[in-house]
Amino acid sequence: MNAETWRGCGAPRQIAVLTVWCLRTLVSDRRVVVFSVLQPLIMLVLFTQVFGAVANPANFPPGVSYVDYLLPAVLVTTGIGPAVAAGASLVREMDRGALTRFRAMPLGLHWVLLARSLSDMSRVGVQSVVLLASGALLFGFTAHGGVLGSVAALLVALLVIWTLMWIFIAFAAWLRSPEIMQSIGFVLVFPLMFASSAFVPVANLPGWLQVVATVNPMTYAVNAARHLSMGEPVGTSVLLAITTSVGLLAVAGFLAARGFRRPLTR
Amino acid sequence: MTDPIIETHDLTRVFDGVRALDRVSLSVPRGTVLGLLGHNGAGKTTLVNILATLLPPTSGTARVAGLDVVARSRDVRARIGLTGQFAAVEEQLSGMDNLVLVAKLLGARSAQARRRADELLERFELTSAAHRRVRTYSGGMRRRLDLAVSLVGRPDVIFLDEPSTGLDPASRIELWRIVAELVTEGATVLLTTQYLEEADRLADTITVLAGGSVVATGTSAELKSVVGKRSVHLTLTTAADVDAAAAGLRGLGMQVHTDAARATVSTPVDAASDLAVVMRFLDEARIEFKELDLTEPTLDDVYLSLTADRAKAEVRG
Repeated sequence: MNAETWRGCGAPRQIAVLTVWCLRTLVSDRRVVVFSVLQPLIMLVLFTQVFGAVANPANFPPGVSYVDYLLPAVLVTTGIGPAVAAGASLVREMDRGALTRFRAMPLGLHWVLLARSLSDMSRVGVQSVVLLASGALLFGFTAHGGVLGSVAALLVALLVIWTLMWIFIAFAAWLRSPEIMQSIGFVLVFPLMFASSAFVPVANLPGWLQVVATVNPMTYAVNAARHLSMGEPVGTSVLLAITTSVGLLAVAGFLAARGFRRPLTR
Repeated sequence: MTDPIIETHDLTRVFDGVRALDRVSLSVPRGTVLGLLGHNGAGKTTLVNILATLLPPTSGTARVAGLDVVARSRDVRARIGLTGQFAAVEEQLSGMDNLVLVAKLLGARSAQARRRADELLERFELTSAAHRRVRTYSGGMRRRLDLAVSLVGRPDVIFLDEPSTGLDPASRIELWRIVAELVTEGATVLLTTQYLEEADRLADTITVLAGGSVVATGTSAELKSVVGKRSVHLTLTTAADVDAAAAGLRGLGMQVHTDAARATVSTPVDAASDLAVVMRFLDEARIEFKELDLTEPTLDDVYLSLTADRAKAEVRG
């Protein structure tokens, strides 16, 4: 046992190597790359055409089109899919392949989860940039808040999506059942997306749905992104979105790490 | 005498009220191979999982390389290599990528990692497949890569959980050669197996597990001498007679092992008189046989006899 016996490395290096590992796995499947780019485009086409057809211009200030109103919301809602998928893939891969090897290596298992979420988030980041660019170039999206406003909206959206992703990772780490994850996905995705301020002003929703939309964290995220992107006074929306996000992120991250560390029985 | 590199004391693991492992104490000297022999459900994988820090024991203690597997789990992980029953490699990446990334995770610099990967690919005859995705590998190649990845950090202790399950005979022999080589280089190997031949070939010491407990420990020669019986192996003319022959011999108080597909019935015999008992029974029952062999005890017989004794003891309570 001479020269090169390696016993492990520090956290920053673990995170870096693991993230590269996850990213390489992600881009190794070209179909994933192609669909990742297509998905936001499809959402944008559908939502602008379907809801745009019924959207009442009277609801918007002069000079603001439906796409200006919609795009910041889609920035947030496109992330719901990847967030759910992060949980589903963790459940699927937890008891096989490289994830089982990491358990017997001198690593912080929480860094494995962090690396996975970072690599998934880089995909969301690319999707968001595609969304903003194609919105501006193809759909006549105008960022009334300027480039800075759009970047700020993007950052808030990414933070909220990251939080949502960790919530699903925590579910996955504790429940460890593909079926239950799928049910949770179905039950949560549509209300999160539609019972919010994403597509229609909350004031235009039926009364009971207004209540749901008001407690939906997505509403705060969408409001914040929208205010920033449209250059409106942000009020408390940004602060509210960031603080609830960070709070939930801390709880979900802690629970996810705890859950994931539990042994794979047998 | 060197200190044992693996040592357990009264190691117990309970799953939902079932004792998967029941007060197992064992000790493995550095640079040797311990073969853990047992059926499915005997507790082999549970024991390996505890030693590899994947599972905490319910009670008892275990030390690997002098370190407690619960209190010093991270340090233990830095000194072990584990090859489980399912390949723990990333299917989407190449064999080379798997090796390089694991080397880097263990703290190697890029150039060192690449050198180590090349070395292991060569040794496991995977050089030509180095840049292919693991998804395209055959079962044997995957198993070799899995073992290679476990060896990246030059671990002191290597755990092999049923390493040859699902391998074709050529791959199995190749695997045996590699294990023997690792030991000559100073590693300690703990392997679990259901194949007595494998334990016989590779292990310096064999520990037989049944129902979560150690029922015997010793070299293969010692275990055979404990049983000290020769066996009669009969190949029957018609396979349909196997059950009747087995039932009849068991009725005479003998331990019987059958293989219906080959129409064989085996039973340990103490003395020539026992052989006569077998012959008389077959004659009276009008069961014809094509072949009769009298053999020295094999590990099969040892295993059969030890686990049968235990089953009897359990019945008695």
